[in-house]
Amino acid sequence: MNPIFALPQADWNSLMPEIVLTGVASLILLLEAFAPRLRPVFNGMALAGVAAAAAILAQQPAGLYFHGLIESTALTGAFSQTILLATAIGLLSAQGYLKRERLLFGEYPALLLWCATGLLLLVRGVELVTIFVALELLSVALYGLAAFHRREAVSSEAAIKYFLMGALVSSFVLYGAALVYGETGSTSLAGIAAALAAGTGSPGLLLLGFLLLVCGFGFKLGLVPFHAWAPDVYQGAPSPFVAFLSVAPKAASAVVLARLVLLATSAPSAGDWTKLVTVLAIASMLVGNLFALAQRDIKRMLAYSGIAHMGYLLIPLASPGPSIWRPMLVYLISYTLMNGGAFVLVSMLYAKPGEQHAIANLSGWAFRFPVAAACMAVCMLSLGGIPPTAGFIGKYLIFAHAIQHGNLALAVVGILASLIGVVFYLRVIYMLYMRDEIASPGSLKLD
Amino acid sequence: MMQQLLDLLLGDTITRFVFFPSFAALPLLFLGRASARTVKIYALLVSLVELALIALFAVSHWGGGTMVARDATMPWLDFGSLRVLYEVGVDGISLPLVLLTGLLLPLVLLGSWKGITKHWTGFAASMLLLTTGMLGALVALDLLVFYIFWEVMLIPMYLIIGIWGGDRRVYAAVKFFIFTMAGSLLMLLGILWMAWSYGELTGVWSFRYEDLLQLQFPLSQQLWLFGAFAIAFAIKVPMFPFHTWLPDAHVEAPTGGSVILAGVLLKLGTYGFLRFAIPFFPQAATQLAPWVVGLALVGVVYGALVAWAQVDMKKLVAYSSIAHLGFVMLGLFAFNEIAWQGALLQMVNHGLSTGALFLLVGMLYDRRHTKKFEEFGGLAKSIPWFAVMLVFATLASVGLPALNGFVGEFMILLGAWQGGLHWATGIATFGVVLAAVYLLKMLQETLWGPITKDENKTLKDLSLREVATLLPLCILMLWIGVAPGRFLEPSRPALAAVLTSYRAQMAAGPPGALTLSAPTSAAGPAATFVAGTAPAGIGSAR
Repeated sequence: MNPIFALPQADWNSLMPEIVLTGVASLILLLEAFAPRLRPVFNGMALAGVAAAAAILAQQPAGLYFHGLIESTALTGAFSQTILLATAIGLLSAQGYLKRERLLFGEYPALLLWCATGLLLLVRGVELVTIFVALELLSVALYGLAAFHRREAVSSEAAIKYFLMGALVSSFVLYGAALVYGETGSTSLAGIAAALAAGTGSPGLLLLGFLLLVCGFGFKLGLVPFHAWAPDVYQGAPSPFVAFLSVAPKAASAVVLARLVLLATSAPSAGDWTKLVTVLAIASMLVGNLFALAQRDIKRMLAYSGIAHMGYLLIPLASPGPSIWRPMLVYLISYTLMNGGAFVLVSMLYAKPGEQHAIANLSGWAFRFPVAAACMAVCMLSLGGIPPTAGFIGKYLIFAHAIQHGNLALAVVGILASLIGVVFYLRVIYMLYMRDEIASPGSLKLD
Repeated sequence: MMQQLLDLLLGDTITRFVFFPSFAALPLLFLGRASARTVKIYALLVSLVELALIALFAVSHWGGGTMVARDATMPWLDFGSLRVLYEVGVDGISLPLVLLTGLLLPLVLLGSWKGITKHWTGFAASMLLLTTGMLGALVALDLLVFYIFWEVMLIPMYLIIGIWGGDRRVYAAVKFFIFTMAGSLLMLLGILWMAWSYGELTGVWSFRYEDLLQLQFPLSQQLWLFGAFAIAFAIKVPMFPFHTWLPDAHVEAPTGGSVILAGVLLKLGTYGFLRFAIPFFPQAATQLAPWVVGLALVGVVYGALVAWAQVDMKKLVAYSSIAHLGFVMLGLFAFNEIAWQGALLQMVNHGLSTGALFLLVGMLYDRRHTKKFEEFGGLAKSIPWFAVMLVFATLASVGLPALNGFVGEFMILLGAWQGGLHWATGIATFGVVLAAVYLLKMLQETLWGPITKDENKTLKDLSLREVATLLPLCILMLWIGVAPGRFLEPSRPALAAVLTSYRAQMAAGPPGALTLSAPTSAAGPAATFVAGTAPAGIGSAR
């Protein structure tokens, strides 16, 4: 018998959510080829697949599987659910958009599901090669999705930019993984931790290896100085897809980044990771918020604001320890809802692809589309961290964590940065509610 | 948890009247296509139900001298060492203000009936959400919950000024937002600092009001923390020199917005001093009292002088708010019972009389679309009922004996004198004279004399709706003025408790290092407390 089938049943069970997602995706592709008339229900099928995966995930026993390649814990479960939530948002919001653009093909849900598979594995992977393979799986799917509006030049441009950046990330991660493996003789994170504790390997090469890994995932997160791709890609790619792109990959990458930083700081001769993380966080918060201030296109504005949000998310990492997970998780859930929600609304309110998404176009639409405008206002307030929204709870936990661990300066910079943020988030509300209508919504029908 | 939540929302609780307006605002989202009339009637009905809920609550808790009611506590954010409780309660300090809020809501809606001409759904929703924010801030007994409600007030008011305001509405709205936000971020830092200090001493962060009251900071820290809280509250009051947002906001805001702003929002600043800044940091408050009193007096005199110089009725009333709240601040920093009672009463009085004045200015504006004195004159001849109401509200605002303003101002002045602030009392008394000067000037320029403009000859007098809006306010002004005892009754024990613990702490002097006072302080009145039954001032140290 082939040894792979000799794996215990528990291993296969633990992989069931991913298997379901991939299976549904493949089925959709087959149906696309042989039963194209079913196209309108593909997104619904994919949604059912996501729901099934979420249900299976909810009752998975904790443990290490596949000889320590992937793990299942309450924490990975929660992050995975967040990712599935983002996937559902991406699927739900796409239906109308794809129909309007006559792009209702099975490839969109299929690619999205594969991407989700990669993300789940990325969250759960505790071994460098697994992490790399998961990263590739999700990246390749993302390139296809970014280019999904194939008749639009901006969409292709976004895909190319994203692809070039992604290729760079892959090489960084691969090189970093190779260096760490070369120095410690192990690819599993636990093995590396043991080797580090024993003092194996040259500190210099290890530092370089970890730096490359952190840089790679820093790119994926869009941290300053690895952020330049985000505004262009967000602006060009289909908006419902951006609702997914701007949250799910970031959630998974943040988990990996946190794991790597925790690992790197566990070494006795670790470099000064706290300082590095602090610098990245402060740079991301300030650059993201200040650049967002100058944007006139709402998608670019949200891209820069996303950069700033990843900066806030990094704050707990400046004091590594097991207590980082809770604020990060809460922050990511609220970020998924508010940022995903904002892009969904953008995809509804800006009907024509490829047009400029000028914030000024929203002028006075609050009273034409009251429900959409109210939702947009709530998303903006939440992104701004203003009570009583989820964004405030997330920020509060992040800043409280920083204060608890003596990073008062980081908390103060964060609060000041979010004060800058309030200005441009409020500008959207101002446009919606306090200006007269200037742009005709055309045939746009909402509410 | 779910059951607990339902009990809180549906039982005879504080939570019910706090959240009822926002739940009632939800259907408005889907009334977008309904006629403005439907929306108005719906909102008015909601506000009347809300008033009934608050009134029933107040009546059932009014008797028996002391009064405390609180809801069952519910853990809201529980993260091990970081815990936030949803905890609300009403005592004699917050009860009058809660009642005032409930009373003003229907009147504001009635008063905006004609003045608000567009987007009534949005206006009604903003007002209802604002009400939840104001009530929540008044009843919160957990500082993070207080902060959240405090911020909840911000957005609806921003929208009310920015959407339904005058020509420079956006400027005014943004200015209001930035001033308040800057202050409240300082306060948030202060709150976090206190919760962290509590965590340093006990191992668990706490935001509970009663837990934090036990913290005794050394003087140097008290000064910083008092500063953080005081600036946030001073912006809201507003005290000179943080007042510049107020005239803009008042002038640009629609009538309803001005009434709520003057009636309740500003009171939250003075309430914050009485509830938080003074009990938390007694030594710092006492040390800085001369400065605060000085600024309050500057506010009294400066507000009065600037009001005198106005040519616009609404601006005059706006600046008079600065002067009146200067009185309240003077009373608060005299640190004695009679001054505090006067200050609390004056908060309510100002809400009534200034609310009525803003409503009257709004009614005149609905008719003539101007607020300038030069456009008026002799209105007493053409619209006598309007004139009667305006004279009544103005005299209440001036402080004529037998009307409410007199009682509050007299008690403040008496208390300030007893508190040894002789000079300040003298200057403030001069401020009373100035108030008479500018308010009577307003009457003279609008009501008396010959009718100079032809448009004014044919003005319509107050409608039944407008009389119904003003009458409750006038009745209360007279009632409080003639028989203030009944209105002072519920607040007396609560204020006395705060004062007792203040005096005990002052006698003990500031500690050398951060300490935690004993959970049951011998100094305060015994606050053995069983939810909803045992009466005790919640201001007392536990």
